[in-house]
Amino acid sequence: MREILSGVLILIGALFMLLGGVGILRMPDLYTRMSATTKVVTLGIGSIMLGVTIHFGELGVLTRALAVIALVLLTTPVAAHMIGRASYFAGVPLCKETVVNELHGHYDLRTHELESIPLAELEPQLLIMRVPISHWSAIAEKTLAETELRRHYKVTVLAVRRGSYVIPNPDGDVRLLAGDELILIGTPEQLSEAAKAVQG
Amino acid sequence: MAWIALLMMSLAIGLAFIRLAYGPTLSDRVIAMDLIGTLAIGIIAVYAMVWNLPVLLDAAIVLALIGFLGTIAFAYYLERRAGP
Repeated sequence: MREILSGVLILIGALFMLLGGVGILRMPDLYTRMSATTKVVTLGIGSIMLGVTIHFGELGVLTRALAVIALVLLTTPVAAHMIGRASYFAGVPLCKETVVNELHGHYDLRTHELESIPLAELEPQLLIMRVPISHWSAIAEKTLAETELRRHYKVTVLAVRRGSYVIPNPDGDVRLLAGDELILIGTPEQLSEAAKAVQG
Repeated sequence: MAWIALLMMSLAIGLAFIRLAYGPTLSDRVIAMDLIGTLAIGIIAVYAMVWNLPVLLDAAIVLALIGFLGTIAFAYYLERRAGP
């Protein structure tokens, strides 16, 4: 029984290792290759170590196996992050099928620091504005969809702030309360029209 | 069963070695090297089982540490080489 369990665990681990090997060969760019190898191999090592522990059934083997698992679990993500980051700076290309690169333009290539671009630099015609909802406002107690801010004023609600709590990218069924603050994006004219309506 | 596992992991090392030889960038070679190190840990563990030598697991621990240090050193070098 114990032999079967340990054999199955080792086979599962080896299968994951083989998948990691296939992944590093077949994936289209460095970043997807890393994604394949790090995840798959960490699981593979864990499974193999468990299998070996069950085979021996000794405390000494268990501690060694746990040490290896802990080391791999701790070091693999750190190493992968460092290699990925260094490769991104070194200009290792992303594959052609990449849909979105959220890091694009956010790294300062001189200082290697990550920061978001101020909106003014990104798109000078747009502004972000914070508008409190007053008690006599027409949109208090309505859901976001019912206010039809987008249709009437062509502004987009980025977030709703309620006290110290923030609802980012709210859905249409979020119900607005008096005292909430809306974070709006739009051109200055659109925003001032919308602010008048929101404040009542 | 242990022999099938060894065969599969050896095959994985072969695949990783193709990536190591083919590149195309230095980073690809570094992660291939890292993968080969991790696969070696797995092979050592299974060998320890086959030969009934739990002492070999100490080598696996050491290899896990050394592999990590090597990869970190390479990452540091890569980032420095990318330059400010």
